[in-house]
Amino acid sequence: MTTATQIAEKLDALPESSAVALKIRGEQYFDVIRGILDIFAKKKEMDSIYVTATIPCQSIMNALQVLEIDTERIWFVDCISQIMMSVGEKHPHAIYVESPTMLENLMLKVEYLIRRAEGKKKLVILDNINSLAIHNNIKILSEFLHILVNNLRSKNTYTIIFSMEEYETDEMTNMLNLVCDESMTLEGG
Amino acid sequence: MLGRDARDRRERCKTGIEGLDNILNGGVPRGNTVLVTGSVGTGKTSLCLEFLVHGSNSNEPGLYVSVTEPCDKLLKNIIPYDFFDESLITDGKLHFIDLPIVYERLGLEKAEFDFEEVAILISAIASIVHELGIKRLVIDSITSVCYRLKSQENIRDFILKLGSVLSEMGCTSFLVSEISPAEERYSLYGVEEAIADGVIVTGNLERRGDLLRTLQVVKMRGTMHSRAKYVLDLTTVGVLLVPLLKGGSVAGGG
Repeated sequence: MTTATQIAEKLDALPESSAVALKIRGEQYFDVIRGILDIFAKKKEMDSIYVTATIPCQSIMNALQVLEIDTERIWFVDCISQIMMSVGEKHPHAIYVESPTMLENLMLKVEYLIRRAEGKKKLVILDNINSLAIHNNIKILSEFLHILVNNLRSKNTYTIIFSMEEYETDEMTNMLNLVCDESMTLEGG
Repeated sequence: MLGRDARDRRERCKTGIEGLDNILNGGVPRGNTVLVTGSVGTGKTSLCLEFLVHGSNSNEPGLYVSVTEPCDKLLKNIIPYDFFDESLITDGKLHFIDLPIVYERLGLEKAEFDFEEVAILISAIASIVHELGIKRLVIDSITSVCYRLKSQENIRDFILKLGSVLSEMGCTSFLVSEISPAEERYSLYGVEEAIADGVIVTGNLERRGDLLRTLQVVKMRGTMHSRAKYVLDLTTVGVLLVPLLKGGSVAGGG
């Protein structure tokens, strides 16, 4: 079983609108993306909201094109491009937050995208908690995740929080265990 | 004296702004006069316009009384709300009036109004509200009106009488108040907030170099409400609100 199908099946087995902490390694990244966006979200006919705090959304979009993943139902909240002064031409499927420290604005942009397509099932990916931890202390990050996850749960939305295994601290593990329903690790590379 | 249950049974005027209605435990108690106060660029006018548009969409005719900015200009700069249709204006559900034109028609062109002229102004606004069947009123800004009233007695009299007349007609009113960012009170003259039934404060909060737009309900007669600070965003789906994160990192906020 490939990593992509493995993650899609694991997610499929969870109850509706679950919040999942997904521990991944760098080499699994693109397979995980394929499994979530191209298999799981497509099967469930969901819109995906991809929050990126790691690399600019344009780079992710380029990667999705290479992977031949349809981006029609994928929307981005990009909180890294502006701080890197690298927004360039704005993509119609992307909303920009000035900085990853503006966690409230990040929540507001997610809320906006959810409201704009009310009635449709949705999935929110937070990529990733380790990058957000560079810019925010653990207390404010815990508060942010607690509010975000509960808010999304009340809107019947799936939440998947990426955590890079090699950079996860004990504090992060505790925080993710506290707010998420499930913690997943993937086998193989 | 009304108990907690009785207060929460008061009929509500739902602003239509989901976050604000949640903060207010269902909406503004109908007939209340609410001061919407804050410095420039904090979202006061957008908040008030949305309150009117949602009302017009649910058969509560609205009136926006502009004191400083001509209505034509205001309408050109309005956020392209997904729920706003210009037919609301043409169908007579949403009205815009420039107060300087009302002043002119009433012959109130002096720089300073006396007690009698204040009464004429209140009567004129009340007549418009009555004739058009207005249920939601916005005066933007009350600070500019107060500028002509000069004395604290006149300002107190104006807000008290206007609030009372509008409340009797079942009209819920938002009065916009402009303050400078450094101001520690909620209005320029210091009396408006004491007379109003409610005070909603919008502001800018700087945190580690980031500037956040905030909203806080500090007073609302007739309902229990949150007094916490929220962060707001002005979007095409309307005003969105989320709680301000504390996390031990808010300057001056612990």
